[in-house]
Amino acid sequence: MDGGAGFAYALRLSSEFIAGVLVGAGIGYLIDRIVGTSPWGMIVFLLLGFVAGILNVLRSAGHLAEPEAKIGPGAKPGDNKE
Amino acid sequence: MANDPIHQFQIHKIIPIENVGGLDLSFTNVSLFMVATVAIAAGFLYLTTANRGLVPSRMQSVSEMAYEFTASMLRDAAGTQGMRFFPFVFSIFMFVLVANLMGMFPYFFTVTSSIIVTFSLAILVIGTVIVYGFMKHGLKFLGLFVPEGVPGVLMPLVVMIEVISFFSRPVSLSVRLFANMLAGHITLKVFAGFVVSLSTLGALGIGGAILPLLMTIALTGLEFLVAFLQAYVFAVLTCMYINDALHPGH
Repeated sequence: MDGGAGFAYALRLSSEFIAGVLVGAGIGYLIDRIVGTSPWGMIVFLLLGFVAGILNVLRSAGHLAEPEAKIGPGAKPGDNKE
Repeated sequence: MANDPIHQFQIHKIIPIENVGGLDLSFTNVSLFMVATVAIAAGFLYLTTANRGLVPSRMQSVSEMAYEFTASMLRDAAGTQGMRFFPFVFSIFMFVLVANLMGMFPYFFTVTSSIIVTFSLAILVIGTVIVYGFMKHGLKFLGLFVPEGVPGVLMPLVVMIEVISFFSRPVSLSVRLFANMLAGHITLKVFAGFVVSLSTLGALGIGGAILPLLMTIALTGLEFLVAFLQAYVFAVLTCMYINDALHPGH
């Protein structure tokens, strides 16, 4: 079945994006809780989380080089890695 | 119950051990299947390599294939230096693979469809990367978050984004495995449920039930593929993160 590979790819990309947003929101929430800047930490870090999510997706799709790819053995910039 | 696609993910206590210092440490069906996973994986590898020959028997070559596969995966991603992490990567790969495959037995619990199990594995991986990275490189490990050639004004923003991106790795690692296993098993159960419901509708229903039955068979094959593929993806990403710990950017 061909649908399997596409499905796995879709889940991979979406999980990368969702993870970025979730972690951004989580960090913002924690900062608000600790520093008491509610709701600004949440707002700023949710947006940064979106950015990080997009970055994750682009990296995972191979459109951007991994930051460490420059010196890692067996890894070239732009490699489309699993 | 027979038609409830979520029922297979219910956790129930087998040996209740409650309130150990405020924690519920009960031995549940999830714990049972994790113990079984470890026992089967370890037992298989031990028994198949116990009296090994120069010309491997069929089972021995399965074990050797698993070893070679993981070793080349780790060597490709992290270089020969990465081989010191081989036991770690191999254990994780075998655990996830055996847990996924065991979930394919009817009435068995799929431990990798619980997010807490996959998240613990991902935290273990990322924890290893962080601890080893700081041990080996000290504060230079933080260079991982500082890309080259970024103008000074943008640096705080970019570093913050890279930090979030780094901490989203365990989340995406665990969510991916969990979501694949959960979605696959629910789909399988839903289509299998159609067979039962349709076949109660008389002769026409029984004829119509053939379609979801074929779909269930196809999905079962697909699920075996997903079980292997997800174990592979988990292990490959582990290797890549270990590569970060060994060679962080400048």
